[in-house]
Amino acid sequence: MLKLKLEKWTDILPRYQTFISHMKPILRETRRIIEDLDADLLYDTEVLDKIREEEERRNVRKVRALSEFSAMYRSNVYELMKDFIIKYRDRISLIDIKDYIIDFLQESVEALTILRNITNPDQKNLKNTYLYNLVKFLEKILFPKGNNIKVIYEKLLEHAPEYYESQRHILKTHTHYREDLEHSDFFTIPGISPKVYQIINNITSFFNLDPNYGPFPENDNHEIPMILKDDVFLPYIDSIANAEEEAIKSIAERTGLRVIDGIFLAPKKGFIDLLLDNNYLRTKKQSDGIIRYIPQFSNETLILYYLAFASRRRGFLSKELINWISINFAFLIYMGILKWKLTDENIFYSIFKDLQTNEKVLPYLMKLICFPNYLGLDKTKIRDSPQYRKEIFNFIGAQIDNIQNLIENVGQFCYKKFEKEKNNN
Amino acid sequence: MIKLENKQNSTWNKLLREFIRGLDHAIQYLEERDVERIPGAREALIRRLENMRTHFPKNSGEIFIKAINDKIQNAFFPNTKNFAEAFEKILKSRTHEQDFIINELINGFVSSKAKSIASDTQVPIIDRMVEAFSSRNDFHIVDHQFYAMFGDPNKPRKYVKKKLEELVSLFGLVSKELVVEKDKRRSERKVYTFYTFPDAILTILEEKYIIIDEELGYAYVSEEFDRNVFICMFLANIAVNRDNLEEIGGEYTVNGISAIFALILLLSFMPKISVDEDNPILRDPSFDESNMSVIPKSWMMKQVLDKLFEPLIKIIAYRLGGGLWLSNIVDSEINKKIHNQIRFLLKDVNRWILGELVRVEVPIFVEISNIFQEIIIGTETE
Repeated sequence: MLKLKLEKWTDILPRYQTFISHMKPILRETRRIIEDLDADLLYDTEVLDKIREEEERRNVRKVRALSEFSAMYRSNVYELMKDFIIKYRDRISLIDIKDYIIDFLQESVEALTILRNITNPDQKNLKNTYLYNLVKFLEKILFPKGNNIKVIYEKLLEHAPEYYESQRHILKTHTHYREDLEHSDFFTIPGISPKVYQIINNITSFFNLDPNYGPFPENDNHEIPMILKDDVFLPYIDSIANAEEEAIKSIAERTGLRVIDGIFLAPKKGFIDLLLDNNYLRTKKQSDGIIRYIPQFSNETLILYYLAFASRRRGFLSKELINWISINFAFLIYMGILKWKLTDENIFYSIFKDLQTNEKVLPYLMKLICFPNYLGLDKTKIRDSPQYRKEIFNFIGAQIDNIQNLIENVGQFCYKKFEKEKNNN
Repeated sequence: MIKLENKQNSTWNKLLREFIRGLDHAIQYLEERDVERIPGAREALIRRLENMRTHFPKNSGEIFIKAINDKIQNAFFPNTKNFAEAFEKILKSRTHEQDFIINELINGFVSSKAKSIASDTQVPIIDRMVEAFSSRNDFHIVDHQFYAMFGDPNKPRKYVKKKLEELVSLFGLVSKELVVEKDKRRSERKVYTFYTFPDAILTILEEKYIIIDEELGYAYVSEEFDRNVFICMFLANIAVNRDNLEEIGGEYTVNGISAIFALILLLSFMPKISVDEDNPILRDPSFDESNMSVIPKSWMMKQVLDKLFEPLIKIIAYRLGGGLWLSNIVDSEINKKIHNQIRFLLKDVNRWILGELVRVEVPIFVEISNIFQEIIIGTETE
């Protein structure tokens, strides 16, 4: 544990680079071999088998994990080339096949070069590094920083029309069953479990339907909307929402609400200003001169407050939420770079997406992303035992369409930011 | 035989009468109370409910029969004993938005801790299954691969074995064994069990979800292959086993599914409301006029919805599972709570935008709504 806490940038970066550094030469050598090979020889795929065997013999690595990985990686590369040849050798000319393979290999080498040089050991020219730019690009959409919740909330709202599903997704930890709604450490903020999500939705509906109104504690002559706490929990049976009911004060705080007189839920003062600014409350002057705030919430009104609250207090996030947010960022960045560099038809895409590759790249990328210049999360909470790495399987299997759209967008951002600008200069 | 038919008719007529009574109460309440902000919204709702009162009982509840039998069942709960056929129909009805309904059907409604359709651990395991199948090019999973991927060194292997067994039976996977006399590592005899889907299911998945490469003999999963493919299987399994309540989770499932379908029906019947040009909702970036419409929100008030929901849930239950299902919709406090919760579900297709209720016009809503419109127009023409 102590060892984990001491992990520095210069400890983690080399570990992140290790496997990438072994993948690149294999692809580069393969490209050179194919380039030198007479295209006609490709027809007989046994030629490729022989070349691979020879290559295997040449490489003697002392670290077993690495030599196993390299062998696996090379054999995957050769298998994919063989499949491609078998599939197309009777349809397109061998010269074209050779060219395609060389192009696919070249694209893959370029992707690995970007991944390898995503940042540098002393973080010099920080603002020009891929990692910094990509984290900031995504941070702006999903988890913006700001001096106060209002600033963050408004940044989130700006991207909500396109990415609300992703913003919501990064709060909904996959491992919610390990979360505590209330922590012994009062400040800790957990992710949103399906049940808490449902409860927040219920609260939104109750506010919109037919709320009660009561005096605004901090502002005379004003009335704010209130709903009965019990109404929210009434439908739950078999005590399944007991934990949530007991933790209602904490849930309320994270969604910008407060408990009044022990029975009502109502927006906090700071949140009222925010709601007014964004048209989620409208004012109505009553005949008795009292100004009443009438709620007109959207689905995202309370959820984005939760996200803004978590972002503002990012130093106090639960272990599950930190792991979940950072794996989402790591995955988006990794896949975004691939989207940028590889054409959709690239036969080597599957190796990059293979879990054996993912599990060697993503956990270290997650840690790098947590450093202060990037997301600024507590990186000691990132799990990296092999067992926890298996959770990557869960994570990738739980993808949503909106995240896929965001990956496309990251790819386009990379192209515009790094390639177009470079070409223009 | 005639006796049974008479009994069925009398049950069905009784259910229809109860629904009409519910409509009367709802209309009465709406006439007393207005929570709408859009001028004319309440009146539009009252008019719609009155229309329903007039047209729904006609031809022995033709609208219900068409909407439930032809639309809802076909899309989400096919009435067949054939698992593959049920699966195919559910899978075909998938759209991005209808996926939200499919998800909600699995884990959205309130249930007891022990009796939800998919338990807490089953849903994450479905996500892993997606990856397990995606990471091979023969659309098989192997027991050892499964253990390696999902086993926990701190727990005995029997847990992960049990999980695999559950999944195999749940999805009706077929297996074949491969015996290796001497494995490479320890020169020991090893038996590997490969699991895949039955041929009928594979055929359905072909093209869109699995790409078969005959030249190479591979079966890749496509980008479209996701957790909802499995969730559709889950639903298909419940649909074909609807007569075996024990197998599908008992009264909780019956009440939950009937209530969600009742919500879909009600949502489909809600009238669209026209809003003034200066209504802020039209400028809200999350409102897309091309596939969303503002609907009255007062139907969601407890006093209105309770009156409509109770009889509607029974109607659905009866059409889906006959007397067996109907007998499980008892007016108990627990059931009332489950039903009460349902009104807040389907949040992605029945969403709030600036305090107004907005329906996303997914195919199922449009199709059901069309049945109603056609019958009204037909009557007017006559």
